Amino acid sequence: MTFLSVLLPSLPEVVVLGGALLVFLLDALGLKRLEAMGGVAVVSTLVALLLVVADLRFGPLAGLATISAASIDVPAAQQSLTALFAFSSLGLVFQAIFLLSAFFVSLASLSRPSDEKGASIFFGLLLIATLGMMLAAVAADLIFLLLAIEVVGISTYLLVGYTRREARGIEAAMKFYIVGALSTALSFFGASLLFGAYAGSGPVGSDPLNFLVLNQSVGTVGYPALALVGYAFLIAGVGFKVTAVPFHAWAVDVYDGAPTDATAFLAGGSKKVGVFAFFLIFLGPITLRPLLAATTSSFNYTPDVQLALALLAIATMTVGNVLALLQKEMKRMLAYSSISQAGYMLIGIAIGTAPAITGATFQVFAHVFMKVGAFLVVAGVAGLGIGPLIDDWKGLGVRRPYLSISFALMLLSLAGIPLTVGFFSKFILFSAAVQAQGLFVWLAVAGVLNSALSVFYYGRVLKVMFMDPSPSPAPDDSAPASSTLAFGLGWGRSAAIALAVVAIVALGIDPQPVLQGIQSAATHFVVTGA
Amino acid sequence: MFSLLTVILGTLILGTLATFLAGRSARWVALITSIVFLGEVGALLSGYTWPGLSAVSGPQFADYQSVPWISLPWLQINYTVGVDGISLAMILLTAFLQLATVIYCWNEEKRPAAWFGLVLLTCLGCFGVFVALDVLLFFLFWEAVLVPMFFMIGYWGGVRRRYAALKFFIYTHVASVVMLVSLFALAFYSHATSFDFSSIYAAANGTLPFGAALPITVQVFLFLGLFFGFGVKFPIVPFHTWLPDAHVEAPTGGSVLLAGLLLKLGGYGLIRWGVELLPNVMSHVSWLLYTVAFASIIWGSVVSLAQRDLKRLVAFSSINHMGIVLLAIAVNSSLGITAAVLLMFAHGVVSGLLFMVSGSVHHTFGTRDIVSVNGITPTTPMLATMVMVGSLASLGLPALVSFPAEFAALLATWDAIGYWVLIPLIILVVTAAFYIWMMQRMLFGPPKGVPETAHDIPWYEASGMAVLFALIVIYGILPYLLVNVIVASPIKAWP
Repeated sequence: MTFLSVLLPSLPEVVVLGGALLVFLLDALGLKRLEAMGGVAVVSTLVALLLVVADLRFGPLAGLATISAASIDVPAAQQSLTALFAFSSLGLVFQAIFLLSAFFVSLASLSRPSDEKGASIFFGLLLIATLGMMLAAVAADLIFLLLAIEVVGISTYLLVGYTRREARGIEAAMKFYIVGALSTALSFFGASLLFGAYAGSGPVGSDPLNFLVLNQSVGTVGYPALALVGYAFLIAGVGFKVTAVPFHAWAVDVYDGAPTDATAFLAGGSKKVGVFAFFLIFLGPITLRPLLAATTSSFNYTPDVQLALALLAIATMTVGNVLALLQKEMKRMLAYSSISQAGYMLIGIAIGTAPAITGATFQVFAHVFMKVGAFLVVAGVAGLGIGPLIDDWKGLGVRRPYLSISFALMLLSLAGIPLTVGFFSKFILFSAAVQAQGLFVWLAVAGVLNSALSVFYYGRVLKVMFMDPSPSPAPDDSAPASSTLAFGLGWGRSAAIALAVVAIVALGIDPQPVLQGIQSAATHFVVTGA
Repeated sequence: MFSLLTVILGTLILGTLATFLAGRSARWVALITSIVFLGEVGALLSGYTWPGLSAVSGPQFADYQSVPWISLPWLQINYTVGVDGISLAMILLTAFLQLATVIYCWNEEKRPAAWFGLVLLTCLGCFGVFVALDVLLFFLFWEAVLVPMFFMIGYWGGVRRRYAALKFFIYTHVASVVMLVSLFALAFYSHATSFDFSSIYAAANGTLPFGAALPITVQVFLFLGLFFGFGVKFPIVPFHTWLPDAHVEAPTGGSVLLAGLLLKLGGYGLIRWGVELLPNVMSHVSWLLYTVAFASIIWGSVVSLAQRDLKRLVAFSSINHMGIVLLAIAVNSSLGITAAVLLMFAHGVVSGLLFMVSGSVHHTFGTRDIVSVNGITPTTPMLATMVMVGSLASLGLPALVSFPAEFAALLATWDAIGYWVLIPLIILVVTAAFYIWMMQRMLFGPPKGVPETAHDIPWYEASGMAVLFALIVIYGILPYLLVNVIVASPIKAWP
């Protein structure tokens, strides 16, 4: 295994890491211009994104190459059983999603006030967090996965509080930190129980927490009862990361208190690491276990784990939606809606079939445009001097029609209205639930009812923007006027918003190209377990 | 390469977009689009022959085009369009009503670009519903009709427009969700290979080799879901209460499209995606359809007697007429379905004219109250003539377009259920009564409530009405022109 053969498949990660180091270097050299650092972030995420997409599209640069921690000692056939990370196609899809959201956030953040302190912290940590997310997406080992998530966690705690101006931001960062530490502790405790349950049960010389090994031994050997407890802790630990109810309470305060561009990254990017972690961890007990059940059925806990995840999904979407209905502030409403959307994604792993994983992954993908886009608009609108309440947006549709129509399209997409990408992502997810039949049909029913409910709070924003009269004088009168494409928010943010809207509509008309790729990746993932 | 239907769809999409962006010249763009649309529909009609029935996939369609849209191992959605005689009649109606509405609204002053754009968007959605043969495509167009109508009522409407628009939206949206769920359930539970009409037909009816039909209880259950979904659009009693409110508050052009086209979506949907898709269900549910039809006929007519507002009267009479359509569908014979389609066409044209008339009465006299505006003939002879023609056509006078349709519907009912036909027959007398009563007051009494300054209707309103007037007379005298098209469809081979 030469140096180059390790470097080549991990070129995207190297690019992002290099970008982060360059940002810190520029800061140390005294080049503190926001545009320079933002430019580095934009370019490095874009280059990494193109590399990942090329890898996905034109046959892997590295095949499904695996890199072993102890590659010299282990025979080739066993390499994957000791691998710490492996480039699976679904992992690459998630890498692309993470890079896309980092790209959008850094592009929009070019329009942050250029005299703002801490640009290097913002863009540098953004890139480090993205690197953590990319590593999590290629994890082949439970401990490696949790460590990668921890990298994301630590960088995002700082991202939430980096401005150090407002008490709210610092409070949010503290809250995020404490809850994050707790969830890490829970996850690692669960992992240690799994290790205890299955150590030594795989092939000789294999790593018991490698997902391939773990999925083979799930429930068949070792101490399944211990493993069940381990999985319960993992549900809680990772549940905090995806803001699954009842582990969601921190999310709204953090999303609300963080600088809104950081919120966009949290909601659209870093939270989705948790979704992928759910896929990796629970694919074994959910999907592969029933296949093995025919051979040995000493202790079958698949129904328990599956039921727990299904209930988690239903609770998450319902609670998120109901609370979103009650919100008066735009950011808090979007935060609760983000919780409810996590519920839809959990449907995917609760079912665990290839269609369901496809639907959930496509939902995550669609989220980059609609949820990240929505938060970027909110950040820009706050910069115009408009207050945090939904009612402060009165008459914006008349004063700034292009910006308002863009925001409306994002909300309609979140609500799942046809001809937006959000319609297809929900449609495919629910059709997968119906296709799985049995009790899963009820997951689809719950999802459809929740979508219908969500139309109310998104619709209320539309009503406020387009039907209510403007106050006079309007708070944004002194801000630059909105022309056709530059929404009056600076070109970086305008470009990010325009790109998101184009993607929402284009994928709402023809999702097939993206969907095809996600489908084959998800099928490969479900069949091989990696 | 492209079927003519795709070309028409493209024309309408481009025309609609151009109208929205055209600013002050929107009405010209809308007019040109409408004329091109009508010409293309003419070309469609002249080249039409029905391709016949297939033993496996059921009724076939002309100008058929099917392109994969979303292909996943468990989900096959296509862009599939095609027409037969039933949809052609409806498309013809769409083209004529669009032209008439655009001309009638020529002088719209309140945001004309948006208004004409929404008119075209409504017609685009209706056209799409009539040609779509894939469940998802059908649903997209179905919903696309809802949105422009919501804004037409909510922005250009009368005093209680917000309430009416919201009521319209909630009723029809709930109905369309039920319809959508039923159609999807049909596609999934029958294990159809795609969401196409033909695949679902083959899978649900078990006509494939080795295929088993969907159990009849499941079919009945899903049919009832579809019946509810389409029925609210009809509207059937007791889900009709959105209609009078929507009509009274809607602007005139909105009312014309609402009565002329939107109600037809329900009838068309029930024939295409209900009766035609699940032919074995009808023998189990026809009693329900008869009951609902009789209820709608009686209720629509009797309530009309009590109306003082001209527009409300026309709205309730629509419930009565659509009840007869439902009756003809319930009969489920080739004569019955022919009558139903013909009557939908007739009602589209006649109610369009009547709503234009009531709009013009409102513009001219400032009120639509039958009791307070009397004897308008001397001041506004043109308007009075149109009121008269519309009313006579609506009550079924021979030589006008409704007569052959209603006659055929009642004949088919007699063939199927004998003396029960007396119910709609007697109700026809009531219908005649409220129209004659209205005409006697409004047209011929001593002048009352007619201001000195009242002028006859402007040229554009008259021209819009003249288009419909001509259709009423032409298809009334020569109904075979239309009937020949309609029966060149699965009606030929109806069970």
